[in-house]
Amino acid sequence: MTEYALTMTGIRKTFGSLVANDDVDLYVRLGTIHAVIGENGAGKSTLMSILSGVQRADRGTISLGGRPVEIRSPTDAVAHGIGMVYQEFMQYPGLTVLDNILMGYEQKKGPFIDRRGARKRLGEICRKYCFQIPLDSPVEKLPVALLQQVEIVKVLYRDARILILDEPTSVLTPQGIEGLFEALRNLKAQGKTILIITHKLKEVLSIADDITVLKDGRVTGRLTAAEADEPMLARLMVGRDVMLQADKLPCHPGEELLRVENLAVKDTVGVERVKRVNLTVRAGEIVGICGIAGSGENELVAAIVGLADAEKGSRILLKGEDITALSVADRRARGMGYVPQDRNRMGVNRQGSLWETTLMGHHIASGLFRQPLINKKEARSFSQDVVRNFGVKAQSINDRVGALSGGNVQKLVVGREFSDHYQLMVMEDPTRGIDIGAIEFIWKEIIRYAADGAGVLLVSHELNEVMQLSDRILVMHNGSLLELENGRDLTEKEIGLYMLGGAEYGSQVQ
Amino acid sequence: MAHKSSEGRIKELAGRLRPGPGFWTLQRHSNAVRYLLAVVLSLLVGCLLFLQQGENPLYATYVMFQGGLANIVNIGTSIRWATPCLIAGAAVVIAFLSGFQNMGIEGQMLVGALAAGIVGYKVSLPHIPHLLLCFLAAGLAGALYALLPALMRLYLNISELLVTIMLNFIAEFGTYYIVYWILMGGTRSNTGAAAIKTEDILESAEMGTLIKGTTASTAFLFGLILLVVLQVVYKRTVIGYEAVQIGQNMEYARAGGVNVVKRFFQIFLCSGFVAGLCGGMEVCGSYHYFLANFPGNLGWEVFMVANAARYDPIALIFISCIWGVMKSGSLQLERVTTLTRYSVNIIQMLFILFVAVDYVGLYQKYKDRARVRREKKPAAKEGNQA
Repeated sequence: MTEYALTMTGIRKTFGSLVANDDVDLYVRLGTIHAVIGENGAGKSTLMSILSGVQRADRGTISLGGRPVEIRSPTDAVAHGIGMVYQEFMQYPGLTVLDNILMGYEQKKGPFIDRRGARKRLGEICRKYCFQIPLDSPVEKLPVALLQQVEIVKVLYRDARILILDEPTSVLTPQGIEGLFEALRNLKAQGKTILIITHKLKEVLSIADDITVLKDGRVTGRLTAAEADEPMLARLMVGRDVMLQADKLPCHPGEELLRVENLAVKDTVGVERVKRVNLTVRAGEIVGICGIAGSGENELVAAIVGLADAEKGSRILLKGEDITALSVADRRARGMGYVPQDRNRMGVNRQGSLWETTLMGHHIASGLFRQPLINKKEARSFSQDVVRNFGVKAQSINDRVGALSGGNVQKLVVGREFSDHYQLMVMEDPTRGIDIGAIEFIWKEIIRYAADGAGVLLVSHELNEVMQLSDRILVMHNGSLLELENGRDLTEKEIGLYMLGGAEYGSQVQ
Repeated sequence: MAHKSSEGRIKELAGRLRPGPGFWTLQRHSNAVRYLLAVVLSLLVGCLLFLQQGENPLYATYVMFQGGLANIVNIGTSIRWATPCLIAGAAVVIAFLSGFQNMGIEGQMLVGALAAGIVGYKVSLPHIPHLLLCFLAAGLAGALYALLPALMRLYLNISELLVTIMLNFIAEFGTYYIVYWILMGGTRSNTGAAAIKTEDILESAEMGTLIKGTTASTAFLFGLILLVVLQVVYKRTVIGYEAVQIGQNMEYARAGGVNVVKRFFQIFLCSGFVAGLCGGMEVCGSYHYFLANFPGNLGWEVFMVANAARYDPIALIFISCIWGVMKSGSLQLERVTTLTRYSVNIIQMLFILFVAVDYVGLYQKYKDRARVRREKKPAAKEGNQA
């Protein structure tokens, strides 16, 4: 007989008239990795927030190890051995890793915090599960992959038997993902049960034992990884066949749009993050840049779009005109669009309405800003076009952006930039953390956009995306750019080596 | 479509969970409910306070309203106290709507008022030019006083919040010093009055009164117009659009091409200008001289008033008026009962507190909770039968 670590049966959760979870059953076998997959808005998050005590179900039962339990609050969930690793890490900058882990669950010796005892216990946990984290360094100094491990150690420290990871790979590089999976397998081997929430099918198939698929608040599939494949899962998630390969159109490069010469960029503390790189983008081609996070790719993009200053001697030319000293607005007015990496921070105004967000940047590119008054009619019709043409699911352009799902927000940002007749589009992670349906759509749009004669500079941490879409692939490593001559013929692993070690390391490939 | 898309449903859900209205989507009808409830609730609690102080709460409440609204003179007093709220409130709205923390309204008011006071009696001009010169001096003084924190923010990255707060104290004692040691020559005025104040401004620098026999001046009209203009600017103009977007997400505005540094300067100085102007209008409209530390608590209260209005110019008009009525009522209360104006002060603060409550959201929450309970009952029965 199979032993279940966790069962949720008949879970129903409604918010007013809408049903977020409709009779959801979830059976998680003890000591397995179980993936819950579904598009944004399918009800994964609601289900998990019920499990972690943030929300309470209207109906349904939760059993742990066969015993029905009631989870009334997050503290309850922790007490029941349920540990949640959130997508956004909950860490306090300024405190050390140790203190961050202890926060809220301090081991005490009389009135004092027993740091020594805690350190000993954490050392044991790290040894047991093969984690290596520097307990005494401040959290803000840690790279993302390590922060995630800190989060995992934190829930282990709280004696979690069931770990829930919400979109754990969305912030990681291919190598970071490998590291995470290694850690998860270790945890599994030690008898922990793991629940992964994700929408990345490849990863699901490589790590999970069992899979539960959610769509529109209902379970549409319950299967083992062995019997599943990507198209099948995609169909269960989206409800129709989905393109997982980009249908790349042949590229006919035209005139040179962007030329970057000798570009160097320093970050806010004066460290040179981009070290004298050269780069061109022609009309009609998609140039992909991949690199591990922190290799200088953010600074490169910031300098190109005008958000960061380039060092002396750098030259950035747009259609032959030197734009090195121009502002973001001037660059936009001259035909450079920008899809930022972090849509919520830099792409949209979540508190504002859809039309306000679509107007941003457009009001400069279209020259609207030269008039004192907003041309409301134009702004609205532009916004309506974006919403309609890019399939943003919203009732009206007066809706709040914050109420949209991630995929729709991204469609809104991409749609805004693509609707403006820019000749050069700089994009960072255009499909980060969104579901397959939306990825498919945005990929198609990017390909069509380039085919229509615009140049696209695509900077992505999603290696697969760069490989699928780019005509030319450049690798960024430690501030330097390396053009891969035969980039489109290399495998993901080979490019990963270039990303990690730059030219010398990568040359071992050939 | 009978079956709503999942995205649509989540959208609805999110809309309900976070009902805090953005500036553009502010629903005014729910505002009216909010203000009314806040007034009623704060009065109810206030009555308990009156009772505890040994006064008849109904009588005290009556006196308060009588003091604020009973006759034309009382209304005039209410208007007089609503006026600085309006104008200084506008200064707060200008800065805070864009996310810039100009806490130095009081200081800017003081330097503005002093500038207007000096120009008011030292310069002799015909009526209108003299007034305009006073306003200009007041506004410029306020803007200049805001320039320093703005520069420190830009070049030294020092929080404007701290600097402006500190500058408030410097302005308070600095103007005191200037008035007492320089303008008054270090002696109390020859009439023996205790007040630290400048000489009366010339009649040509006085603003017209709105209601005879009161200090309600045309500054009130100016405040109304100013806020309506602000509303139009925020709703209709590109600069207003950018100002609001900066306030709601500065990074996004920057990436979109808004020159945030330039706008910061413009907005911050504009806020200082309006605050200075408020000081000037207090001098030209109500006091007719510069009185040391005249704003008292006002420099702080405006932040609460503007916040209670959620930085909406039109809402600010209503809240300022309620504020003015309460203030003038408190003076009356002090005159005819044993209560002090501090009792009303507490009511004013309670009002701010109750205005901050999201009643519609609360109502929705309890309705949802009741519905869940209703749904649970039959489910439990079914369970028992099974």
